[in-house]
Amino acid sequence: MITFKQKTFNALYSIFAIFSCLALGKLCWYFAPILPSSLYGLIIFTLTLHFRLFNADYIKSSVVWCLKHMAVCFVPAGVGIMNHFELIKQFGIAIVAITFLTTLLLLTVVGLHYQRYADDEK
Amino acid sequence: MMTMITELLNNHILSSIFTVAGTIALFQLTAVFQRKLNAIWLQPMLMCILAIIAILLWQNISFESYFSSAWLLNALLEPAVVALGFPLYQHLEAITKEWKSIVLVLLFGAFIAIVSSFIITMLLIGDYTIAVALSLKSVTTPIAIAIAGQLEGNTAITAFAIILAGFFGALVGPPWLRFIKVKSPKSQGLAIGAASHAIGTATVSNISYQHAAYSSLALIVSAVITALTSPFIINYLATLF
Repeated sequence: MITFKQKTFNALYSIFAIFSCLALGKLCWYFAPILPSSLYGLIIFTLTLHFRLFNADYIKSSVVWCLKHMAVCFVPAGVGIMNHFELIKQFGIAIVAITFLTTLLLLTVVGLHYQRYADDEK
Repeated sequence: MMTMITELLNNHILSSIFTVAGTIALFQLTAVFQRKLNAIWLQPMLMCILAIIAILLWQNISFESYFSSAWLLNALLEPAVVALGFPLYQHLEAITKEWKSIVLVLLFGAFIAIVSSFIITMLLIGDYTIAVALSLKSVTTPIAIAIAGQLEGNTAITAFAIILAGFFGALVGPPWLRFIKVKSPKSQGLAIGAASHAIGTATVSNISYQHAAYSSLALIVSAVITALTSPFIINYLATLF
C-alpha cells in the first residue's frame, strides 16, 4: 500500500519531470522551430526516462492518471468549432465529407499496411 | 439566475474556476453515462464540446470569453502531450527494432493523405486555399497552421478540419479498424495517431498502453514527415491544376 506521503512525492516528482521536459522542449523550439515545443517535450521525456535521468517508478501512477483524463484538455480548443459556422455554411458539407473520407482512407492505409508487415514478421 | 451567471463571468478568477470546474464536471458526467450505457458514440470529449457550444449559443456567450476563462485547461494541453512520452518509453525497445518499417508506413500514409485530400478538394471545391487546408488536417495543430500559413492556405479552415479529423478518427477509428480486421493494438495505435494526431491519441490512450505508445509515435513521426515533405508535394500538385 502506497502511503499518502509517497503519493504526494510521486505527484510532485512527475510534475517536476514533465514541466522540466516541456521547458527544454520550448528551448529546442526556440533554436529549431520545426516541431511544436510539446512534441519536443514528449521526445525529451521519453529519452530522460530511457536513460534513467528520471525514475519511472515514481512517475508511473501519476502518468496513468494523466493519460486517463487528458482528453478533457482538448475541450476548450474543440469548442472553437463554433467560430467556424460561417465556413461550414459557405462550403456546405463538402469540407466535412472530404475530411471524413480522407481520414478513413489514411486509417485504412496505415492500419492495413502495418498489419501486413507485422504478420510477415511472425 | 441569469444575472448571477453574467456577474460570475465578469469576474475573471471566479469565472475561470467556474468554467474549468463546469467543463470537467460535464466531461465526467458524459464519461459516466458512456460507461453506464456502454455506448461508444457517447464520446465524452465530443459530447462535452457539443453541450458547451449549445450552452454558449443559448446564453449568447462568445467563444473568446469562454476560451479566456478555460485557459487553464488549454494550458494543460502541452504538459499532457509531454506525458505521452511515458507509454512511448515503455515500448521503446520494441519500437527501435522496427523503426524502419514504421517510418516507411507513415511516410506512405502521409503522402496518400496529402495527395488524396488535395486532389479531391481541387476537383470538388476547386479552391487552392481550402485544398492546402484539408491536405494538412492529419497533423498536430501548431505544425499544420504554420505550414498552411507558409503555403498561403486558409488557416481557419485548417484549424476546423484538424479538429474534425481528430474526432472522426477517435470516434470511428477503433470500430472501423476492427471491421477491416486490423486488430493488433500496434497497428490500431499507429493508424489513429497518423490520422487523428493528439485528439486520437488522447482517446485511444484509454484502450491500452500499447495503443498509447504507437499512437504517440505516429503523432511525432507523421508531424516530422509532413513538416518536411508537404511543402514540396503541395507545390508540385498545385502546378497540375
